[in-house]
Amino acid sequence: MTTTWLVVTDPLDLCALGRLVPGLPVDSIVIGDRALADSSARTGVRSVHWIEPVEGVPADAYAAAAADIVLGAAPGLVATTATAPASRAVVGVVAARCRASVLSGVTGVSEAGDALEVTGGAAGNAVVATWEVSGPLCAFIAPADEAPAPGVAVGLTPHPDAAPRPSRVTVSAAAVASGLADAARVVGVGRGLRSRADLAMVEALAGSLDAELACSMPLAEDLGWLPKDRFVGRSGQQVSPRLYLAVGLSGAPQHLQGVRGAKVIVAVNSDPEAAIFRAADYGIVGDLYEVVPALTAVLASD
Amino acid sequence: MTTVVVFNVAREPAAAQVLADGRLVWPARKLPAGEDDHAALAVAVGLAASDLVGITLGQGDPGWAAARGTSEVVRVADVTVGDDDGATAAALAAAVAEVDGAELVVIGDSEHHPGLAPALAGYLGWPVVLAATSAVRIGSDVEATRRAGRVEETVSVPIPAVIAVAAATEESSPPGMKAMLAARRLPVRDVTAADLGIAAVPAFEPTLTSLPSSTTARLIGGDPLQAATELVKALRAEGVLE
Ligand SMILES: Cc1cc2nc3c(=O)[nH]c(=O)nc-3n(C[C@H](O)[C@H](O)[C@H](O)COP(=O)(O)OP(=O)(O)OC[C@H]3O[C@@H](n4cnc5c(N)ncnc54)[C@H](O)[C@@H]3O)c2cc1C
Repeated sequence: MTTTWLVVTDPLDLCALGRLVPGLPVDSIVIGDRALADSSARTGVRSVHWIEPVEGVPADAYAAAAADIVLGAAPGLVATTATAPASRAVVGVVAARCRASVLSGVTGVSEAGDALEVTGGAAGNAVVATWEVSGPLCAFIAPADEAPAPGVAVGLTPHPDAAPRPSRVTVSAAAVASGLADAARVVGVGRGLRSRADLAMVEALAGSLDAELACSMPLAEDLGWLPKDRFVGRSGQQVSPRLYLAVGLSGAPQHLQGVRGAKVIVAVNSDPEAAIFRAADYGIVGDLYEVVPALTAVLASD
Repeated sequence: MTTVVVFNVAREPAAAQVLADGRLVWPARKLPAGEDDHAALAVAVGLAASDLVGITLGQGDPGWAAARGTSEVVRVADVTVGDDDGATAAALAAAVAEVDGAELVVIGDSEHHPGLAPALAGYLGWPVVLAATSAVRIGSDVEATRRAGRVEETVSVPIPAVIAVAAATEESSPPGMKAMLAARRLPVRDVTAADLGIAAVPAFEPTLTSLPSSTTARLIGGDPLQAATELVKALRAEGVLE
């Protein structure tokens, strides 16, 4: 009998659970603080093996120790999300030691006879793919929107003897709090804007929405129209507002990586083929120089 | 004391061709460089105390790395990149073992292959720093910087180690034509899976692919004022304006 494991080093890893083989018991290995272990314990997993890192030692340093625990139980499926480096590091050790297949972008795993049938996005979600895996599988799951609703907690199994590899972590710079991370509404502006002076028009819209102003990377890095802590994306800020309004932004994948947590995405773009419309919930195809003042006016008259 | 840089082993979605029936066709012969490769190469050049050896697979372009600072490239000619990062990592680890004195491996940390760098480290039995943006050698350690949530942190690990680098931008000054041409004359050592003692399994691919159900935005038309009015109404109904 093989076992199914969930690797947890970040709260988002818990959102992988909903995509796993329905009804299968799942054991979890947590590297993190007590709160993370406790929230894992309430997700319906069968067990929580818990490693608490020593101060100054990164969670990644316990990857081999965590892998030992998983490998001791003949894993057939080891799942996590691609969010945290430490979860990925654990999976890497497990995969090598049991020569597992490693797939990413996974949205579902089910049993098909002796094999596993895996579905997910391939080529950056350009297609939906089905893979068949016969050996052990390590799967990076595209997190579901929500973690399982908290239920009855199982007991924790602490592993105080888990030995880290020699490694140190220090916080070298706390990112300046730009207010973006916690904003309920964010207006993001891109290169569709023709001049710096026109920012005032977008600022007025942000003001009437009680929203924070953000931008794409080129506006901050190349043009310098907004401070660098205002650009959103894989290299910039991560935002998770209830509303993200993208104005004159093409919707490059690197930008969209920063708005994955947004509840509703709205796009204003003059190009009906712009990628942003594939990521948005609502869109207006039009000239931002007409649409933005119109939106501001409608909001003001409300 | 050799530094290795692994390159051209990520399949960027932009390189894929999606056919009308949902089939996916990847370039058979040459993969474009991965988005993170240039950043990995720059970090590797900075870390290399002496030789910098490039490693790639069958679809890699040795000249690309040679023009950016590798002194030699080892190419595993009959292994290509598939969806299984574990299989790719196993082949790469076997190639690293062929490099005399390899003690530091730098690789692009592609978001499309989140398991590749960790599994490579797993096969080598070395620690890994993932999502690094820069790295320096301090004595027998490597100190790498990375973003973790809202803070920037520095992680130090002892050598031997794998450092996986995530690019923050496009390459700012790619080598010119002259450097590219000169690079073609630098040595390439082609090896096969059999030379490395591993099985030459074909790239792992899906058994089936289909087009996703289209999830485009609800488009609101009409003149700007009308569209704005309708949008605001819809957003109120969503409850995101309060
Ligand atoms: C390694 C790497 C990391 C990166 N990280 C990030 C990142 O973190 N964040 C980020 O944002 N980018 C990042 N990028 C850059 C990214 O790839 C895009 O180049 C960038 O996001 C594009 O910005 P944009 O949408 O403002 O500009 P463009 O792509 O030029 O889009 C402008 C849009 O405005 C529209 N438009 C033009 N005029 C009007 C008008 N009058 N009315 C309405 N619409 C109009 C156009 O149709 C177009 O869609 C990264 C790139 C790389 C290679």
